[in-house]
Amino acid sequence: MLEMANVSKKFGGLTALENVHLRLEKNRTYGLIGPNGAGKTTLFNLVTGLLPVSEGSIRFLGQELTSLRSHQISRLGIARTFQNIRLFPTMTVLENVLVAQNIRTHSGITSLWLLRDGERKFREEAEFLLKQMGLWHKRKEKSTSLAYGEQRRLEIARALALKPNLLLLDEPAAGMNEAETEELLDRIQEIRNMGTTVFLIEHDMNVVMGICDTISVLNFGKLIAQGTPDDIQANEGVIEAYLGKEEG
Amino acid sequence: MSVYIEGVLALMGINILLALSVYAILTTDQLSLGNTGFMAIGAYVSAYLTVKSGFPLVPALIIGALTASVIGLLIGIPALRLKGIYLVMATLGFGEMVRTFFMNFEPTGGASGFRGPMGSSLILIYAFVLVFVVFFWLLSRSRLGRSLDAVRDDPEVASTMGLNVTHLKVWAFWLGAFIAGVAGGLYAHHMFYIESSNFNFLLATMIVLYVILGGMETFWGAVAGAVIFSILPEALRFMKDWRLSFYGAVLVTMMIVRPSGIITREMVRNFEEWLGRIFRTEETKDA
Amino acid sequence: MFFQQLVNGLMLGSTYSLIAIGYSLVLGLLQMLNLAHGDVFMFGAFLGLTFALLGIPLYLALLLAMLGAGIISVIVERLCFRPLKKAHFLGPLLSTIAFGILLQNVGTQIWGSEPSRYPQTTEITQFHLGPVIISSIQLIILATSLILMVGLDQFVRRTRMGRAMRATSENQTNASLLGVDVNWVVTFTFFSSGALAGVAGVLTALVYLQLTPFIGIRQGLIGMVAMVIGGLGNLRGAMIGGILIGVIEVMNDAYLTASYRDMIIFGLFFLFLMFKPEGLFGTTERESRS
Repeated sequence: MLEMANVSKKFGGLTALENVHLRLEKNRTYGLIGPNGAGKTTLFNLVTGLLPVSEGSIRFLGQELTSLRSHQISRLGIARTFQNIRLFPTMTVLENVLVAQNIRTHSGITSLWLLRDGERKFREEAEFLLKQMGLWHKRKEKSTSLAYGEQRRLEIARALALKPNLLLLDEPAAGMNEAETEELLDRIQEIRNMGTTVFLIEHDMNVVMGICDTISVLNFGKLIAQGTPDDIQANEGVIEAYLGKEEG
Repeated sequence: MSVYIEGVLALMGINILLALSVYAILTTDQLSLGNTGFMAIGAYVSAYLTVKSGFPLVPALIIGALTASVIGLLIGIPALRLKGIYLVMATLGFGEMVRTFFMNFEPTGGASGFRGPMGSSLILIYAFVLVFVVFFWLLSRSRLGRSLDAVRDDPEVASTMGLNVTHLKVWAFWLGAFIAGVAGGLYAHHMFYIESSNFNFLLATMIVLYVILGGMETFWGAVAGAVIFSILPEALRFMKDWRLSFYGAVLVTMMIVRPSGIITREMVRNFEEWLGRIFRTEETKDA
Repeated sequence: MFFQQLVNGLMLGSTYSLIAIGYSLVLGLLQMLNLAHGDVFMFGAFLGLTFALLGIPLYLALLLAMLGAGIISVIVERLCFRPLKKAHFLGPLLSTIAFGILLQNVGTQIWGSEPSRYPQTTEITQFHLGPVIISSIQLIILATSLILMVGLDQFVRRTRMGRAMRATSENQTNASLLGVDVNWVVTFTFFSSGALAGVAGVLTALVYLQLTPFIGIRQGLIGMVAMVIGGLGNLRGAMIGGILIGVIEVMNDAYLTASYRDMIIFGLFFLFLMFKPEGLFGTTERESRS
């Protein structure tokens, strides 16, 4: 469903991504790992249109993304979360989820006098999502007043409200303890069961190895390996990238 | 009602509209120091139509406001490329450009001003105020309003949620220009005489101060700020000529201790909730 | 005639340059506009006038006005910038708008809103340089402005404080990690900005010979225009921008109608911001466009 061909990103003299080829099929879970600064978030930014590519093409369900703007790309069915949690700070928990539904319903000037019935369906959906993430009881609180783990879950709920075909999660387990990580794995499984393809960046190997069908490894902007968790764990290049070359 | 009080109320109504025009643009995190430019356009166009072309008042007002808003669009689109202070300065430049333009524009009197527009009344002014207050109230509870909030909070993230940030920002500019244009038209037809120096930089900054004082977070803040500034001269009679110093000092202090202004989002939410509890009927589950 | 106007423009323009430099200094340092700057200029002008009325010789009046305006500028920093570090980025801008209004009102209360005349304190001699006539006052204005501008330019480029200012403009965190006392640099920058505005104020008073508490609005705005045309944060650009505007203004008055003057200047301002926001000489601001 998503195809990246020959994608490069340069910032002036710095090459963040070089010649990346990537293919994502429907209904699988993909992981993206690599040392810090390898270019993982940059890759997400390119896919979602927050940064323009320097070279290459990104096709999603047949559509070329590199010529589209980010709001057009999300309307095609791609949603994401952010590494450093970017919720809407002045809005409540519920409002954060509701605003994500705007592209799926009347949200222009007509929304000022919108009929109640149409709204009801969306409200119920928002309720379902928040209950799934265990946040319904906090729906009226300011989003920034939530605990760290709750904020991460809210970000995911918000992304899901877009009803995406492809969900990009940027370090969703960061800062979570074991129990929370277990819960996250369950959530991701649920999301997969509902038909959404998941592509996640993670440093927590338990999460990555535990749930991903295919893992891609980035180092210094280059894709150095791609395969099943077993393949990756055995791959020398990957081990070297993370642990450094053995001297002597 | 005495003529004097009528005058104060009329100007208060116009101030409310001006404050709302600044607020409208502020909803998308853009600050306009040039709404006096839109006000001037609305004033001169509507005045010209009624005085020189015999148009009836309300259509003339609307046309004046539409002219201002179209120009708002023309400004808003390229202005989007500008960040932060550049945008502020561009709006400032725009306001001054319009003012100096009308100072030289002979068909509307040039430097000697334009005499003649009349027909405004308290009812008309407050009809418009009511229309826009209702509009902003509906906006605050609508999906569009939430889109605007998202754009203001984090435009990048908003774009990844499918919101067309550019559209929304330009739309906000259009709206602000329209409201300022209405205010200008009403002003002209209330004052009977307008000249370009009425639409000066001092006024442009004052209307921003209304919004800051009243509260930038909700439209009620803009209304409250305008009301306070319009009534205060009376209440602060004893201060006489030191009133402006007082305003300045209060605002500088406010930015330090309570930058959100008098009316906060919290306050309005709580109030609406309280109202909701009192008038609770068979409704959908809250939210 | 033309050269005469050129000289007049140079003289007027140099006062604009001083104001523009003040804006640029603060903008470069804190990435924010100090909209009270024009009113600090106004206070400098009136302080100079007050001292002149007291019979104090010009150069001393200039110095005292510099001092006074510098101090007011530091007050602006303490009230409008320092406490608002964590606020919305527009906070200081809005606060300076309010403070400016306060300054205008205080000025009106002290000196009245009617125009005040600047007294003649020194003998005026006329010098003839070819087709151009320059009075001693005009020479003083030109000389003072030039000395200050060159002095500031060299100061920023060669002294330790100048380097500290440039470092802080570029990156406050890094600068403080390198041992720069950022608070002191900020205070010093505001003081300099105000001092220059103060001098500009007195010199402007010498040019126009009468003042009202509202000159700060227009002259301040023109200074801002000069800054934009020269390039935001660019000190040399501000100097040239100011002189350009001064020349344009004088030429307009000489060859076109006076009332077109501000329309042309603000029109230029607007056009530059829309189509060439980096100005003629480039800006030190990180990005002007999104």
